[in-house]
Amino acid sequence: MGITLELIVFLILAVFIVASSILAVTTKRILRAATYLLFVLFGTAGIYFQLNYSFLGAVQLLIYAGGITVLYVFSILLTSSQGDRAEKLKNSKMFAGLLTALAGLVICLFLTLKNTFLPSHFEHGELPVSAIGMSMMSGEKYGYILPFEVISVLLLACIIGGILIARKR
Amino acid sequence: MSEAKEYGYFSGLFHGIKTLLTGMRVTFKEFFTKKVTEEYPENRAVLKMFDRFRGTLVMPHDEEGNNKCIACGLCQMACPNGTIRIESEMVEDPETGKKKRRLVRYHYDLGSCMFCQLCVNACPHDAIRFSTEFEHAVFEREKLQEILNITKE
Amino acid sequence: MFDFSIVTSWIHELLTSVMPAGLAVFIECVVIGVCLMLAYAVIAIIMIFMERKVCAAFQCRLGPVRVGPWGTLQLFADVFKMLIKEIITIRHADKFLYNLAPYIVVLSSILAFACIPVNKGMEILDFNVGVFFLMAASSIGIVGVLLAGWSSNNKYSLIGAMRSGAQMISYELSVGLSILTIVVLTDTMQFSEIVERQADGWFIFKGHVPAVIAFIIYLIAGNAEVNRGPFDLPEAESELTAGYHTEYSGMHFGLFYVAEFVNLFIVSAIAATIFLGGWMPLHIPGLDGFNQVMDYIPGFVWFFAKALFVVWLLMWIKWTFPRLRIDQILTLEWKYLVPIGLVNLLLMVMCVVFGWHF
Repeated sequence: MGITLELIVFLILAVFIVASSILAVTTKRILRAATYLLFVLFGTAGIYFQLNYSFLGAVQLLIYAGGITVLYVFSILLTSSQGDRAEKLKNSKMFAGLLTALAGLVICLFLTLKNTFLPSHFEHGELPVSAIGMSMMSGEKYGYILPFEVISVLLLACIIGGILIARKR
Repeated sequence: MSEAKEYGYFSGLFHGIKTLLTGMRVTFKEFFTKKVTEEYPENRAVLKMFDRFRGTLVMPHDEEGNNKCIACGLCQMACPNGTIRIESEMVEDPETGKKKRRLVRYHYDLGSCMFCQLCVNACPHDAIRFSTEFEHAVFEREKLQEILNITKE
Repeated sequence: MFDFSIVTSWIHELLTSVMPAGLAVFIECVVIGVCLMLAYAVIAIIMIFMERKVCAAFQCRLGPVRVGPWGTLQLFADVFKMLIKEIITIRHADKFLYNLAPYIVVLSSILAFACIPVNKGMEILDFNVGVFFLMAASSIGIVGVLLAGWSSNNKYSLIGAMRSGAQMISYELSVGLSILTIVVLTDTMQFSEIVERQADGWFIFKGHVPAVIAFIIYLIAGNAEVNRGPFDLPEAESELTAGYHTEYSGMHFGLFYVAEFVNLFIVSAIAATIFLGGWMPLHIPGLDGFNQVMDYIPGFVWFFAKALFVVWLLMWIKWTFPRLRIDQILTLEWKYLVPIGLVNLLLMVMCVVFGWHF
């Protein structure tokens, strides 16, 4: 395929994501790691927008970048003791981590290249929101109503747990 | 001392909304009233200070150039700063032969005056008063020393 | 009604006839980006000037009058002063995060600004989940505020940032609920569609009681979301010496300042778009002559008039009431606005299901 704008944008986003992820795991300061994670999430949202799936991109930004990152930053701010530097790793631990990451990479590449993906049925134009809503709330064969309700029960349990922990005695 | 009324949920909500709207009505009316700010150098033509404003000390003279000062020195003694200095001379009155004090020069130092009006209050004949002229800025300090009386020549 | 998409499609055809499509799209994106930032700066200047004049009028004084006719050049003088101020670097502060934080706040502001439809066909980002994207963009700004407070290495900034962060994430919920109320009334989340469907009456008239309640809740919550008005505790100078942006000077502070005023405009513009009809003129169904007269006034005039009216409302609120404490702010949200918002949403759903709207 020739050099199209989509390819260039995808390459830029991919380099951005890879660089931010490597920086996120190698930096010693915790809050900088959270910031690099934020960049990774931005890049992922960019890839979703490039695939014309704007709903998922908006959800990625709303939940991940705006919710989870805020959660991380709040918990770091509330619980960090002296400064925000992580301790220096021993060389043996770093070597073991690198080996594990390499093994994981090999397994993922193997699975990705060996799997025969279905031919992508790429519609141009965005997915209508009503289709998303219908599939999330329908009880038929490919409907997602059961996971939806289970997730809401899980969130309710989180809220109750948070209130129980934070209430005054 | 009135006690604070305990509001429930809904009565508190409506009471709160009512008080908020009262406050907003006040500022709304204020938004449309004409502002009383006077933009100073541009409005010199229509500027009028109020009568009791103490701008500078003057000695009013009538049409023939007479003033009411008898050089008694009460204003000089009343001034806390020593701003006023009176030069007087004893003159013999030609008709009766009695000696009378007469004012020669009335020194007034605008730079050291603090506009407290004690001199005007002390004067028994209302010879001096404050005028509302307030633009006194000069470039040399000597220009602030004034002679308030006008001598007839 | 003048349709701006005529202009955009003409430009696109002109460009694609001389160069490959990818390059044409790239050039268009660059041009749009530059125009967006210019519009951002211009709107910021207009907002700040309006704030100073309106605030002075409420406070029985005149505001800037000397610099330029009616004080219009005052803002340029202020911007110039801010540009030439020294940028102080702090010892022991995390320099990367310290320099990054204002840009995250401005990024979220620009992304939200790009969603607003100004005229027919004149919008930059028009996803079919436009409302959703707007809420996503405004939740990115919270991260910027928290990072600014932390990286200043100052405990008052940190407290200000945490309070501001808690306030912003709480009120985002109310903003979302009130916008959702209108999304229930019209079954679309796309901004241009929302405006198109108000051609026969604005939503504040169509959805009567629930829409008015949602409008009021949106104004209060939007005010608190952008840290303005009676909810500006994090930047109150007497409380926390300017909160999370204490340690920022010069251009960095200028970015926070500009972002605050443009956020105010964005909140008002969204209120004008969703509740008051955006660029759609006032149409009364049945009076065709009146509607024709209203159509002569171009769309962006309507839009700016409505948005500036809502800005004036928010400034009226700001300069009337004293500041709320942080516990009062959070009580207002969680004990009053969220329950009322949820009941209102239920009310609107019942109105739509039973057809009790216009």
